[in-house]
Amino acid sequence: MNKDVWQIGGHELTSRFFIGTGLFPSPYVQKEAIRESGAEVLTFAIRRINLASTEDDSILQHVEGEAFRYLPNTSGASTAEEAVRIARLARASGLSDWIKVEISANERTLLPDPLETLKATEILVKEGFIVLPYTSDDPILCKRLEEAGAAAVMPGAAPIGTGLGILNPYNIGLIVEEAKVPIIVDAGLGSVSDVAQAMELGVSGVLMNTPVAKAKDPVGMARAMRLAIEAGRLSYLSGRISKKRYASASSGHEQFIVK
Amino acid sequence: MQLIVNGETLEMEARTIQDVILHFGLEERPVVVEADGEIIAKEQWPFMEVRPMMKIELVHFVGGG
Repeated sequence: MNKDVWQIGGHELTSRFFIGTGLFPSPYVQKEAIRESGAEVLTFAIRRINLASTEDDSILQHVEGEAFRYLPNTSGASTAEEAVRIARLARASGLSDWIKVEISANERTLLPDPLETLKATEILVKEGFIVLPYTSDDPILCKRLEEAGAAAVMPGAAPIGTGLGILNPYNIGLIVEEAKVPIIVDAGLGSVSDVAQAMELGVSGVLMNTPVAKAKDPVGMARAMRLAIEAGRLSYLSGRISKKRYASASSGHEQFIVK
Repeated sequence: MQLIVNGETLEMEARTIQDVILHFGLEERPVVVEADGEIIAKEQWPFMEVRPMMKIELVHFVGGG
């Protein structure tokens, strides 16, 4: 098989695993998990510096010196305006012009606000960002985000951190069929079976944080997820059999010994 | 002078953004500064004068998904 590369905003990627950097039990475990994941893209959040603490709690000190692409998110934003402000702050770091638009209007579900997400995507694309909106698994909405200039569109499998897996595989499949930009399933995945299912539906990649960081062994789970992505991707490219209602024997009926 | 830094009103000796950064010992850290809604590039810190009750945000990257 040829090297299975893909692109976002003109940047070539080999790994299909975007990994989040929150919730890990320690910086050491996080670093090892990132290594095992094979991820080339790491996500971050933007927050106020804790001025009461002299300790450097910046995430960057733990990943510096390695060749990652940074995907900061706009978490904490509940409007397009707030997301645009956070995106500008993220870009001012000089580390990345990629931005994951994440706008939640409901604290209990953290589900994305689709209208604000579209609005923020339009603004940020005009400002020259490489925009990856996290959004609902609605096929028309995903198309609209693509038309607004999103470099990739990231529908959620289920609410953030729930591990419920792909609640609407039919929609994810439709989104992939219609898309001209990469589709990345972001949020709600829980296990390798969810990940393999996502890849079999034809998505270009998956973004995960909680299912790795909160696993009993995050390093082992990072590797398991990487293998699931590879397996699911290869299965998608290889073409699974269609489902049948009744049995069909593997060896045929022609030369049965007992007849 | 009184400044509102990361949402808290604080009294400090500062003439420029650079002074504020030094006040908190952040000169070696990857910090992004916003003053009254405008992002201030690092090169501008020594020249950007602060004024009373200026809203200053000092932000950085933390873990997230």
